[in-house]
Amino acid sequence: MSTLTEPTHAARNTALLKGRRRTGWKAARRWVMPLGGLGVILFFLWPYLVMLFDALRPSGEVLATPPTFFPKTWTADAFAQVVTDPAFHNWLRSSLVVAVAATVIVIVVAIPAAYFTARFSFRGRMVFLGLVVVTQMFAPTSLVVGLYREFYDLGLINTYAALILTDAAFNIAFALWILQGFFSAIPKDIEEAAALDGCSRVGTLFRVMLPLTLPGIVTAITFTFIAAWNEYVVALTLIQDDALKPLTVGISSYVTAYQQNWSQLFAASLIAIVPVVILFALIEKHLVGGLTAGAVK
Amino acid sequence: MKKSLRWGAIVAAATVTTLALAACGSSGGSSTDGKSIKVVIAEYSKDHTKKFWDEFAKTYEKQTGVELKLQVISWNDIDQQTSTMVQNNNAPDILNLNAYASYAADGLLYDSSEVLPAATKADIIPAFVKSGTYKGKFYGFPDLSSARALFYNTDLFSKAGIAAAPTTWDEFVADAKKVEALGDGTVGYALPLGPEEAQAEFAIWLFNNGGDFKQDGKWTLNSAANIKTLEFLRDLNVKDKVTQNNPGSTNRTDGAFSLFEQGKAGMVVGFSPLQQALADEHPDVKYAIAPMPSGDGAEPQTYGVTDYLMAFKKDGNKDAVKAFYKLYYQADQINKWIKSEGFLPVTTSGLKEFADDPDLKVYLDTLPNIHLTPTDDPEWDKIKLTIQQNIGLAVGDNGDPKKFLDDLQAQAEANK
Amino acid sequence: MTVRSEPVVRRRRRERGTASVVEALLWLGPALILIIGVVLYPAITLVATSFSSYSITGLRKGDAGITNYTTFLTSPDLPKVVGNTAIWVAAVVVITIILSLGLAQFLSKEFFGRRFVRWAVIVPWAAALVISSQLFRLILDYYHGILNQVLLNLHIIPQPIDWLGDPHFTLPSMIAVGIFVTIPFTAYLFVAGLNGIPGDVYEAARIDGGSPWQIYRAITLPLLRPTLLIAVVLNMIYVFNSFPVIWILNGSNPGFGNDTLITYMYKLAFRSAQHDVGLSAAAGVFNVLLILIAVAVYLRFVNWREGSKNA
Repeated sequence: MSTLTEPTHAARNTALLKGRRRTGWKAARRWVMPLGGLGVILFFLWPYLVMLFDALRPSGEVLATPPTFFPKTWTADAFAQVVTDPAFHNWLRSSLVVAVAATVIVIVVAIPAAYFTARFSFRGRMVFLGLVVVTQMFAPTSLVVGLYREFYDLGLINTYAALILTDAAFNIAFALWILQGFFSAIPKDIEEAAALDGCSRVGTLFRVMLPLTLPGIVTAITFTFIAAWNEYVVALTLIQDDALKPLTVGISSYVTAYQQNWSQLFAASLIAIVPVVILFALIEKHLVGGLTAGAVK
Repeated sequence: MKKSLRWGAIVAAATVTTLALAACGSSGGSSTDGKSIKVVIAEYSKDHTKKFWDEFAKTYEKQTGVELKLQVISWNDIDQQTSTMVQNNNAPDILNLNAYASYAADGLLYDSSEVLPAATKADIIPAFVKSGTYKGKFYGFPDLSSARALFYNTDLFSKAGIAAAPTTWDEFVADAKKVEALGDGTVGYALPLGPEEAQAEFAIWLFNNGGDFKQDGKWTLNSAANIKTLEFLRDLNVKDKVTQNNPGSTNRTDGAFSLFEQGKAGMVVGFSPLQQALADEHPDVKYAIAPMPSGDGAEPQTYGVTDYLMAFKKDGNKDAVKAFYKLYYQADQINKWIKSEGFLPVTTSGLKEFADDPDLKVYLDTLPNIHLTPTDDPEWDKIKLTIQQNIGLAVGDNGDPKKFLDDLQAQAEANK
Repeated sequence: MTVRSEPVVRRRRRERGTASVVEALLWLGPALILIIGVVLYPAITLVATSFSSYSITGLRKGDAGITNYTTFLTSPDLPKVVGNTAIWVAAVVVITIILSLGLAQFLSKEFFGRRFVRWAVIVPWAAALVISSQLFRLILDYYHGILNQVLLNLHIIPQPIDWLGDPHFTLPSMIAVGIFVTIPFTAYLFVAGLNGIPGDVYEAARIDGGSPWQIYRAITLPLLRPTLLIAVVLNMIYVFNSFPVIWILNGSNPGFGNDTLITYMYKLAFRSAQHDVGLSAAAGVFNVLLILIAVAVYLRFVNWREGSKNA
């Protein structure tokens, strides 16, 4: 690796050469990158393309032997049946309520905790962080029986509240850890500058620190929303009314031991992916940001 | 050191407080106020199960004034959910499950003398009463039944030059080989011995070779006849090679049945839901139903299954439970549900009602003499699980049928 | 060349104010209540269950002492299951991390259509794991699977392969699916982490004239270390506890030959001859302790290397 020295004649030539090479690469970059992007898109979407085509063929054709990639008979019946099914609307509404509420709770609770843990030493700091990680290590399947008992005793069985609280509790650890890392990385000077400008501790948090940790917040929101949206076994155990069942539990009824409707299962699952992708599309631009050269100045 | 100790103490205090709070609203064991009953039903189908039971709940509530809280759970999850409820002393009042004897053995259930109208008990097909009786008391009230028979693809049979369905095991193997020889990925016999319902497939074969799981109150799992049966099944896979790939890892719904539905399998053991699926989604598959071929020359045996609607003993719910059964076993209720799900009746009066359905005739004739698995013995609940989980290994390339059955017999006898 | 930037950043990170426990409880309170309230109580229930004896129905029959633990630890299937779990976790975590680092770099560059690529990458994460597993179960099926069909048509394989039923292929298939569904989450972790690296650090490195690979190794990776740590630890935990992928892909197979500790624990409760929730709870406690030790060992290993670097 070359060291920083006064630009010599030789070094200037090297730099020029490098520049020309970079121009070559830069030109190619304009189409190589998007092509690579296309490859990545295909890599991650091809199974869901299979799912889409399975949703667009009659259910009996899904298990065809030998299978065909494209449907032999194209039909949008599955989508029509799912979209007009009032049960499906209930499931969708339940999932939205639970996922949004759990995400809000996690963000509201984790931000102050993460900020405080990142910035201050206090007795029990390591115990707290350790406790948070340890709670992630319990598999939901192991905890389901205890959760059932606990919420039964609290009279919250078969309510959204039980599910929201559980989803929030299960996901705080992740939000806390990632936000804690982001808060730690912000230089002290920024905070001190804000304090000099007359900001209270809370004010500093909101006006200065949060915008700088936006990528972390976006990640935490995405993670929590998806985790709550796709949670199965706790929802299955705590919710008994069909009207309150979320999508994960409801969708599983399309394929039972005696009646299988694969195309509806897949149609419903595809529709279930859409809200998540919409949410992500709205917030993903904030994954960029955080510390830029300008902020420090 | 002191600091973390103090912190630890704070955490411990918080924990104790939480536990105390949680214990505050503690469930006082299994008693109800008689104003509502909880009914858990397994989800046979998305379209019919909930529909019937919602209506039933309304009728019940109008008749009795007792609220019926319904929960419909998929068959995949009902075992775990039931266990969770029982572990928390919060069992339902009525439970629909495919086993009952273990619950009876634990003293959790009402028997028929307490909750079932005598006329109903007399109406239930005797074979089902017997299979629902544990230690002399009738606990396992059947909700619906199904029977199995041999389905065969008539197109493939005529292409392979087979005139009629096989009646002996030798004929069966020969026919399967002929169908297999048609090529193009055609399978002679679709054999599902995967963990889903392997005990059902094994049962129907061993009943037709003069064997049984239990005889005269003793377990006969590793009888000579049963060992021969399992070896026969293994040979189908390994020696004769007339089955689909890897029968030990094939389930019915997305394995054996789907091959038959695609017209790729010559024969399969099926039941009425398969008929419905063929009629609804695969009308181009031409098939017929025949009795099982016999391995020992005796009359063909039919294998049947019932599921159960059992009632949990709780203070104060007896009257509500009684009213439930009175309503359910009314012909216009129970048979309406059975018809919509495509299954078979469990009452003698029901047999008469279903008699005019030509599709079901082949089953209805055999229903009174149906052969069932020993569901009246709690040990069977565990034996069934072992068969489901492990029999697939016994029919593989390195499988040892005799050892499997010997181990099974040892398991049954160890827990006497 | 790196001498300038590293110490400055590290010095900044070490500064931390002190605060009282009371203040801490104020800021951490809600999080604590939620975690302790919702997770701790069931965890204690789990432990209590493991020391009790249960009937097949779920009815508690009495105390069991440590019988459940001894039965579990002496089960003949346990060594294979532990081995499977080790391979499963190691393969999925390591390969996912490596691939995700590359993907994150790619997703951080500006290019036309990057937005669509980001949306596409989120889909496997957005889809419920149960559904993705069902989908792959169909794709990998011997008779109904599109994979065999495509490979046969392209003459890559002469005969269909039993991806899920043949013991040689079962674990690799599950690992491949596990990697596929874990990359999106991990890649986005790294994207967030990469965005936390100040731009002027790259500027300085570029002026100094390092190659992209050198810059990556000497600057990016060290600054990603905290994110890398979180990614490894969280993935270890999540992959270890991952249920749907193994359960569904292995769902038609007999025996316990391809199970991991999580699915084995479930089977002990509901699908095995024992059908014993007490035994399963003992397995559950064992699992938590195992992953706890694994994570602790990993953290110690990482810190040790950091420490020796500073020396």
